[in-house]
Amino acid sequence: MRKLLAVLLTLAMVFSFAGFAVAEEEVITVTVFRGDPGDQPTDDNKMYKLIEEEFGIKFEIEFLAGDLDETLGTKLAGEDYPDLFDGGNSAEKLINAGALINLLDYINETDTPNLWNHIKDILPQIVNEKGELFIIPNYGINYNAQIQNACNGPAFFVQKQVLAWADYPQIKTLNEYFDLIEDFIAANPTDENGAAYEGFAILCEDWRHFCLINPVQHLMGRPNDGEVIVNVNTGNWETETFIDKPYAKAYYEKLNEAYNNGLINPDTFVMTYDQYIAKLSSGTVLGMFDQTWDFGTATAALETAGMYENTYCALPLVYDEEYGYGVISEQYLNGAVPNKDRGFGISVKCEYPERMIQLFEGLLSDKWQKLLQWGIEGEDYYVEGDRMLMTAEQYANRQDAAWKMQNAALTIWESAPKKQGTQDDGNAWAHSDQGENYFNLMSDYDKAFLSAYGYKKPADFFNAPCELAPYGEAWQIDKSPIQDDYDKFLLIQDQWLPKIIMSADQAELDENWDAFVAEITPYAEIYTEFMQAEVLKLVELATK
Amino acid sequence: MTEIIAKKRKKHRKVMMFPIVNTIVLVLLMFLTLYPVLNTVAISFNDGIDAVRGGIGLWPREFSVEAYNSLLSDKLTYNAFGISVARTVITTLLNIFLTSMLAFALSRKEYVLRKPITFIVVMTMYVNAGLIPNFLLIQKTLNLSKTFWVYIVPTMFSCFNMIVIRTYIIGLPEALAESARIDGANDLRIFWQIIFPLCMPVLATVALFVAVGSWNQWFDTQLYNGSKKNLYSLQYLLKMKLATSMNTTNAANTSVDALASTSASKSTPITVRCAITVVSALPILVVYPFLQRYFVTGMVLGGVKG
Amino acid sequence: MTGAAPRDISKMKVNRKSVWMRLIDQRYLMLMSVPMLLYVLLFNYYPLWGWRYAFQNLDISTIKEGAAWIGLGNFEWLFQEELFWFGFRNTLAMSLINLVFGTASSILLAILLNEVSNRTFKRTVQTVTYLPHFLSMVIVVGMAQNMFASDGPVNSLLLSMGIIKTPVWWLGDGRYFWWLVGVINVWKEVGWNSIIYISTMTSIDPTLYEAAAIDGAGRFQRILNVTLPGIKSTFVVLLIMNIGHLMEAGFEIQYLLGNKQVFDYSQTLDVFVMEFGIQNNKYGRAISAGMFKSVVGIILLFLANFVAKKLDEETLL
Repeated sequence: MRKLLAVLLTLAMVFSFAGFAVAEEEVITVTVFRGDPGDQPTDDNKMYKLIEEEFGIKFEIEFLAGDLDETLGTKLAGEDYPDLFDGGNSAEKLINAGALINLLDYINETDTPNLWNHIKDILPQIVNEKGELFIIPNYGINYNAQIQNACNGPAFFVQKQVLAWADYPQIKTLNEYFDLIEDFIAANPTDENGAAYEGFAILCEDWRHFCLINPVQHLMGRPNDGEVIVNVNTGNWETETFIDKPYAKAYYEKLNEAYNNGLINPDTFVMTYDQYIAKLSSGTVLGMFDQTWDFGTATAALETAGMYENTYCALPLVYDEEYGYGVISEQYLNGAVPNKDRGFGISVKCEYPERMIQLFEGLLSDKWQKLLQWGIEGEDYYVEGDRMLMTAEQYANRQDAAWKMQNAALTIWESAPKKQGTQDDGNAWAHSDQGENYFNLMSDYDKAFLSAYGYKKPADFFNAPCELAPYGEAWQIDKSPIQDDYDKFLLIQDQWLPKIIMSADQAELDENWDAFVAEITPYAEIYTEFMQAEVLKLVELATK
Repeated sequence: MTEIIAKKRKKHRKVMMFPIVNTIVLVLLMFLTLYPVLNTVAISFNDGIDAVRGGIGLWPREFSVEAYNSLLSDKLTYNAFGISVARTVITTLLNIFLTSMLAFALSRKEYVLRKPITFIVVMTMYVNAGLIPNFLLIQKTLNLSKTFWVYIVPTMFSCFNMIVIRTYIIGLPEALAESARIDGANDLRIFWQIIFPLCMPVLATVALFVAVGSWNQWFDTQLYNGSKKNLYSLQYLLKMKLATSMNTTNAANTSVDALASTSASKSTPITVRCAITVVSALPILVVYPFLQRYFVTGMVLGGVKG
Repeated sequence: MTGAAPRDISKMKVNRKSVWMRLIDQRYLMLMSVPMLLYVLLFNYYPLWGWRYAFQNLDISTIKEGAAWIGLGNFEWLFQEELFWFGFRNTLAMSLINLVFGTASSILLAILLNEVSNRTFKRTVQTVTYLPHFLSMVIVVGMAQNMFASDGPVNSLLLSMGIIKTPVWWLGDGRYFWWLVGVINVWKEVGWNSIIYISTMTSIDPTLYEAAAIDGAGRFQRILNVTLPGIKSTFVVLLIMNIGHLMEAGFEIQYLLGNKQVFDYSQTLDVFVMEFGIQNNKYGRAISAGMFKSVVGIILLFLANFVAKKLDEETLL
């Protein structure tokens, strides 16, 4: 009884506070920066209207245009901070510059129960050494059971039509993958409009160069640890960089072969992210290594255009046995990991931090999570029994970029803390995770594609997720203490790997590779030493 | 004897050959100069999806004004155009006035401070503190970022132009100013009523230099006003389009301009980029041929003396 | 003032007083010049005070509480930084390429134009070749990216002429970058830079040409013996001035046209300063690089000026 009373009291307090805030305070306009390119919502966007009505907050959103680090650097130099600051993949920069406020000054069990419950379990993982928290992870915090219908992370991708053309073969290894693409392109050099197919694209722009430098760890059977492979079996957590090892050379030799066979266009190495997305959206790129979320806009564009055969199937490739590393078992999928330091921070220039916290708190309520992730009941989805469902049209809308600009609060949803996994009543938090929607509303093409393989969902191509290592995923470790050396470490890869891939013959490749290894070794050593120490620190923290 | 005749004939042929070769070379040069420009114009008037296939030369393959339509339906274009015009006009007027005023003062041989001020001003052509100190001055000390004035205030004066104008003023007959002084006119009046109007030819040159510089500037927008959409200049807008849509090869692009008219839009980033190039180059290309006479003199004045 | 006045005390007093008096007389000239002097002091001299940061560890985290003096620490870092030396090398290389090809091409164009007798044709060529000078670097680089793309007109032309067998990757191969910048700069400025040579040529005494013709000199000999000597002094002055500006290889073109693949060849000192100063917020280090560049530039300029004086040409100061 007392417990119930307490809950009621808290609820009443929260609501009265929220009501008070709206009634008394005028509508404020909050400036937002998002460290990714995006599209401006329309003025009459219905979700932003609802937010304005309930929270009295309007948004003025600036999307990244151009280079992320340069944009952030300019903003930091001029202390030109928006109220809500999403630094994208370089958010550490904002934190280290003191541009963000410590959220834990505002988040506690009584005032902000939603936020508190959201982070309390993972708090040790996401705070810094001083116990401060500047950004609530925008992804990776699951409620109840995690749902994984499809691979949302790293994989090798190939257009579904390529697999269909070859009569749905099981592609498990690197050689099989490139043989398939080569055969397809030999048989079909252009699409029906006469545009030439490009066999394999490699996005190298800025931090998205993971498409170039990350694949080797996966080919060796490990999930995404960034630029290192951690030995999780010995209990000593030996950490090593892989890019300078012979087992990495094999991959770039393969790419070199593909390049010399005309599968890789040299322009791929100077392509910007927008150009990459545009290319994928045109349906002419047959394959690439990437992470699913990274080209979501391209997938949506292809689906909206009805070009399902040009959308991609994720494949967990490993080295063939003949590479000499034994039979490798793939492990692309990992346990859920909070997206540390990614998402909205509140800048020190923000005049109303309390209201921002109240906004996040409110948006994390069940009601708002449904609005943000599903839309308005009866309009964007319907309920049958206790299941939340969508019609084909409603589901298609969710893929349509133009529709989303009018009807979804995309930026807020992407950067603010959100619930993932399963609701208490068994519905999925994300509309795309909901089983019925996912399978029933899948395009006929995709249904036929999966059933040709005898699969129920795209994730069936993969082994089940492994348990998350105690250090999380090593790519999340903040490298700013060795920033200069780390930048060098990456730059050397950015410059040499394309050169290696474009070598004219094996002799030139060997020469390039040796020069690359010689140049990168000192930085790889510094990086390895740093990462080893950090991994051990995190393991110790987690096992305490 | 025959040898001499042969030689003469050879020489004669050479003389005849040269003008032809010369003309061909110069025509070729004009072609090379104009080709990229006309190619851009042709692409801007081409159908967007067709343009993606490449291979357009000097004439659109499938004529279309969709790129211009999509450009002109974007409020940002108008705004940027307005900003560019405003900054160019204001900067040019202020710069011309202030620079010529100082040039006049420093052209007066009797002026006591002539030498020290000239020295201090001319030294600026040699010493430049560099990007970061200037950035800190404008950003932190003067707090000009995120304002329109960051386009104006730092560019109100130019030493090179001052020297050009001063050289011109010194070349004017001294008697003009002298007779006005005898009539009791002060230096301000002499400058404004006599010297300034006489300087029009050189001022036209300098105005062109300043206007071109201001119109073509994009870096200050990036550095100081990158988060202020309503202060974007046309060149910066173009720079952004360059960065985001070079060589793109599709119609299903997610950029705003493509989505603005989703129903079978015929413009693609490549044509839109060419269209905005044309729009941003046109004003100056229309003006400069008429000022040619002036800037040739100006170049000669500044070129050697500067 | 200038006369050899006797140096007695009373005279000096009068002189000093007259300076003040004259200043008062010249109050309008002061009104026209002193505000501009203050403007120049603020925008051109005050930033020099920022050079002190070259000796401090100023970056984004120390900018608020104040940076500490670290002596020559930034310079030590700078001189060990490979990218800095790349930037230095690229600056000089692109400057020199620009200098040689820019000068040669504009003189060549001037000579060719000087030999044209049809005035309308001459004017047309001039107007057309001035055009690129008025285009912004953003536009020029955009056009260059079109022209030099793997499947662009330049490659198509070279392929069809059989000069190359496979498309050349102009934009992504560092080896071409300096020359690409050289070509673009020549394209943009050849007409403009020829103005000064053309006007010098028109001031050459026509009787010299007539005399040469009477001596039986052919066209090439006339160019060699009359035209070229006629522009020699202009050439020397401009050459010396350009040597003084060797550190100014440009920023916009390298910044806009460069990418990660050609970074080692595209990055000039100005781009280096931009990368470290604005992008990484390491102000102290960036300023030390900028200061190095400025100081070398000043030394070059004074050297050039000194040489010019020695050569008895017009001085530059």
